[in-house]
Amino acid sequence: MHEDREGGEAASASAASLAITAEIVRNALAVAVEEASIVVVRSSHSSNIQEGADAAGALLDAGGRLVAQSAATSVMHSASLRSGLRSILQEIALDELRPGDVLACNDPYRGGIHANDIMVLRPVFAEDRVRWFGGTLIHVADMGGSAVGGLGSLAGDTYAEGVLLPPVWLYREGKPNRDVLGIIERNSRAPGKVVGDVQALVAGVNVIARRMDELTQRYGIDELERQVDHFIDYAARRIRDEIRRIPAGSYRGSFTIDTDGVSDRTFDIVTTVNVGDADITVDFGGTADQSPGAINSSVSQTLSGVLYAIRCFVDPSIPMNEGCFDAIHTVLPPGSMVNPNPPAACGGRVVTVTAAVEAILQALSQAVPDRAVAASALIHVYTLTGLHPDGERWLSLGYEFGGIGARHGADGPDATGAYFLGGRSVIPQIEPLEAQLPLVIERCALVADSGGPGQWRGGLGVEMRIRLESSAQLTVRGDRMGMPPPGAHGGWPGGAGHFAIERAGGATEWLNPKQQHVPLEAGDVFVMRTSGGGGMGPPADRLPEALAEDLAEGRVSDPAPYAATGRAAS
Amino acid sequence: MSADSTRWFLGVDVGGTFTDVVLADTRGGVDVIKVRTTPEDQREGVAEGIAALLAAHRVDPGSVVRLVHGTTLATNVILEQRGTDIAFVTSRGFGDMLRLGREFRQEDERFDLFFRTPAPPVPQSRTFEVNERIDAAGRVLVPLDSAQVEAVAAEVAGSGAAAVAICLLHAYAHPAHEEVVAEACRAAMPETAYVVTSSEVWPEMREYERAMTTVMCAYVGPVMSGYLAGLGTRLETLGIRCPIEVMESSGGVMSAALAARRPIATVESGGAAGVIAAGFVGRLIDVDEVISFDMGGTTAKTGVVRGGRPDITHDFHVGGIGSAGGARPGSGYPVKIPVVDLAEVGAGGGSIAWVDPGGALRVGPRSSGSVPGPAGYGLGGTEATVTDANLVLGYLRPGNLSGGVSLDPELSEKAIQQAVAGPLGLDVTGAARAIHDVANASMAAAIRVVTVQRGIDPRSFTLVGFGGAGPMHAAELAETFGITSVVIPRAAGVASAVGLVTADLAADRILTRLMPADTADPAEVAAIFARLEDQAVAELPGGDGGLVVSRAVDVRFRGQAHQLTVPAPTEPVTRQTLETVTATFIRQYHETYGIEMEGPQELVSFRARVLRTVEKFAPVPHPVEGPVAPPEPTAHRTVAFAGSVMDSCPVYLWSDLGPGTRLAGPAIIEGVDTTVVAPPSHHAAIDPWGNVVLTRVPPGTST
Repeated sequence: MHEDREGGEAASASAASLAITAEIVRNALAVAVEEASIVVVRSSHSSNIQEGADAAGALLDAGGRLVAQSAATSVMHSASLRSGLRSILQEIALDELRPGDVLACNDPYRGGIHANDIMVLRPVFAEDRVRWFGGTLIHVADMGGSAVGGLGSLAGDTYAEGVLLPPVWLYREGKPNRDVLGIIERNSRAPGKVVGDVQALVAGVNVIARRMDELTQRYGIDELERQVDHFIDYAARRIRDEIRRIPAGSYRGSFTIDTDGVSDRTFDIVTTVNVGDADITVDFGGTADQSPGAINSSVSQTLSGVLYAIRCFVDPSIPMNEGCFDAIHTVLPPGSMVNPNPPAACGGRVVTVTAAVEAILQALSQAVPDRAVAASALIHVYTLTGLHPDGERWLSLGYEFGGIGARHGADGPDATGAYFLGGRSVIPQIEPLEAQLPLVIERCALVADSGGPGQWRGGLGVEMRIRLESSAQLTVRGDRMGMPPPGAHGGWPGGAGHFAIERAGGATEWLNPKQQHVPLEAGDVFVMRTSGGGGMGPPADRLPEALAEDLAEGRVSDPAPYAATGRAAS
Repeated sequence: MSADSTRWFLGVDVGGTFTDVVLADTRGGVDVIKVRTTPEDQREGVAEGIAALLAAHRVDPGSVVRLVHGTTLATNVILEQRGTDIAFVTSRGFGDMLRLGREFRQEDERFDLFFRTPAPPVPQSRTFEVNERIDAAGRVLVPLDSAQVEAVAAEVAGSGAAAVAICLLHAYAHPAHEEVVAEACRAAMPETAYVVTSSEVWPEMREYERAMTTVMCAYVGPVMSGYLAGLGTRLETLGIRCPIEVMESSGGVMSAALAARRPIATVESGGAAGVIAAGFVGRLIDVDEVISFDMGGTTAKTGVVRGGRPDITHDFHVGGIGSAGGARPGSGYPVKIPVVDLAEVGAGGGSIAWVDPGGALRVGPRSSGSVPGPAGYGLGGTEATVTDANLVLGYLRPGNLSGGVSLDPELSEKAIQQAVAGPLGLDVTGAARAIHDVANASMAAAIRVVTVQRGIDPRSFTLVGFGGAGPMHAAELAETFGITSVVIPRAAGVASAVGLVTADLAADRILTRLMPADTADPAEVAAIFARLEDQAVAELPGGDGGLVVSRAVDVRFRGQAHQLTVPAPTEPVTRQTLETVTATFIRQYHETYGIEMEGPQELVSFRARVLRTVEKFAPVPHPVEGPVAPPEPTAHRTVAFAGSVMDSCPVYLWSDLGPGTRLAGPAIIEGVDTTVVAPPSHHAAIDPWGNVVLTRVPPGTST
């Protein structure tokens, strides 16, 4: 006695089968975007993304809703491809698109982040209509502009940051658009790498398109779209449920940025976080006007920061899709640091978006005090470039992390900050770097005493010493160095990082946190020291056994800050 | 199965709950026994199983010529942090290498404001720096200072460490400094001290992973060495005189001595045995491309065998979250040794089904374990598991199982009603179906990782399904990939242990030596391979069997950080050989990434694997003359398949079905320790080796 059901394992439309197919489709979507990001990262040519740092893969629908995002997507790009597609769809109508088309955009004023972050989007058709977009994004090697590798830390406008692509066709109906590829290639200091990176991006969106075709074949487009709606509703429902658990109210937080590298002032990022019944509004009213330097954060980037900070207060296993945006609103004053007007430069936005994250974390920790954290140090970035003996240019974009701030109840982890950025897995190992570049790394070590003293200590910063074997130019971009990450609730700030050059002749030159094209000679040593994270609670309250372990493990060499009288010492 | 000239092989696979022992002989006979694993000292269970099996077959222990051990000891020691106190010695300036680590945070962890980084396996108080430096080309930039080396060795000796791991920068290019430091440590430490260098363990570029591989050897080595020595003594008292061999992670077998020296190579010993077992079944039935699907109590593991060899990964994390679903390996300690490319998901018979707060049905990763076990066991478990679903669907027979467990469908129904059917508004059968399907979806994701994500089209493959629960899921799972042929090996419940006695001896060596592909000197490459092959042969236990060498080169486009491992011909190396390698690289690159790339390439590392073929278990096929009609079913019961319920599904005993038997699905075939489900869409046949072969009937064909 067989009761055959049509279409095999999952075609029934009953509520029950919906719940079951949901998990199966969710899995398939996750695998599709994951595959895309693996392809992009593994085949890319820029060393900074090869370790998976600055990349994203996503599936979106024809209405610009985020459907799924790869786990490998940098949290820095949580909102990037969604913002990019929405901007593109304002300029390009769906009926202008054909199967086999691939679009690209990197304009910070059209959903982008900065020139070097290229977003590639490919429409996916079913039954003669665009249904989905596969999206990929990586930080490519070099797009021109005033400094190599997109590190124009002193750029004054977007024109100095590299070639901007408004939405353009990279491929039309499967055929490469040689004009656009030619323009990108001609304007890059690393033309081979950039073309390789763009190919990697296209390979990624092609994977998504292929997987969506397979899923459409299996489930039919109607069922698939119904499943996607269900998946988005599910995330929306869960995030609202989670927000209901945060006490409603209006909470303020702010964070001060020490420098933009060009003007003689500080910049405050101010947030008022209004937690309602089942939604949250983050209002940036009171935030400083946009900077004449490069540290402005485009809307896309600010949104990623907001989303990130709020996700730290809800169940992180909620799938990252449109449902998460549903309950989160923003007020972004035009012309401010978090929503600049063109042509303000945006390449150095990390300091601003992380300041926004700190401000929101600070605000929300008033609602949930046991989740309080002190400020973290940031990523410190450098590029080195020079000529190989055969005249070919070499360039290297590298970075190191600072210490994470202390948490209520726990020390901050060392050299992994900030939360919003990656872990150290994105930092190339010493041996492969030395094998490719004319330099020797003499030391990479934690900096004792750099963790902000406190009842709970901040994470330590790290020091790296790079000796050049031939002449080179150095560009640096550091943040939270002049004013190191402050402590919280009586904790001390972290130790300040610095950039320096120890000349072969013996002299030491101190660099500004943001400086471009500093000439180095063979034998010179570039020293990069990242800041430590802020401490939490009075240092005197640190448990003696915790301090003893710090001394034994070399994290603290000078116990003086802890010596004052306090609970633990008495 | 006893005759004077017969020689015997033992395979021992120690799992979390059971220790499986296989006794096989040169005439094709095979028998198995399952005993409880003895966690305090696994050797007790091993010896008990062996003694019982030898006694049952009246086998003279002296005629056992081979004993292959699959062990999880290395993994357990690392995960339970009960290794030796070790010291770590590295180059000046890099003493923080291990605690700086790589620190990749998985998706969920990135939103955790309170994340913690794993403690490094060596405290700072036992970490030492020597003054020296070598560059990437192997040139000495800072020579060793012998007085300082002596001082460090004295400090190591005084630190209380019983083992020391030495990893200096670029030692793969110039091992002499490591050797000097090792010598000094040996001189300063007691004779029993365990001293190991990175250039000896795995001379591949990337210092953190090489250091961690070395550290893990030192950490586990003394424990492994003690364990194997003790096991040898115990087996001697049983009268077994053959040497002990250990299954290593890439599917070869190594000597006990080398397992003690390089214990990290055994880290995926059990998983490798399963893939080897699947490859063995493939060899029997003359199939080159096999997907191994092993579903046990807590997890399902899947891997791929092509051309008779398991696919290998060089990116493995001990205790990592794994690659299932495509997430990159994150947590855990990275080690660089070759490991069978397994994807593992938390979907086994004991995996618990639950409805999450958003109303989605999930299966795993939590497991009911063997105690209390699935609700249907009646041992106090109340949560609904995959086994409960399979019982309610009619796949499993209610009543007594082997091993003194009994299955009660009412308890299973109650658990499923409460946990799944109620919350989702389904009937119990529908909920059981849903649990089965979601488990299949999660296992399908794992299969996708090792096939589609690696650029492999699985449709032409044969799926070999085993483990206690695998044969119930294999046919449907295969169907989701368009795989039409499924084989359930005889003794599917202990297939991994059988795999142990079918494996050859093997050794892998590597050396990093960067060179541009177009100007590489064939003579230099030939010399590197010769050296690697000599090293590998020296590591193999002796024997009469022939040697089989295979070579590979890691290649990348200049400027990339990731490379692909490309097979290289074993002919004398010429320019032509190198061109073959780069042509293969271009093709493999396209297969892997879908990109047609051109540009200058770089050879990064050279690999050699040497296999010594040995006499081993080879079952004898029973001649089959024409299709044999099935006997009368032993029972009928109601079974719910995907999309159809059959009130009176025939049930057969596997032991009643002789080779050549053919029957149409749907049918249930009950073995000693497993149950095979042949869905309505499949035919089942018994092949000459007693395996069940399930074949998809093309849709539309009348059954």
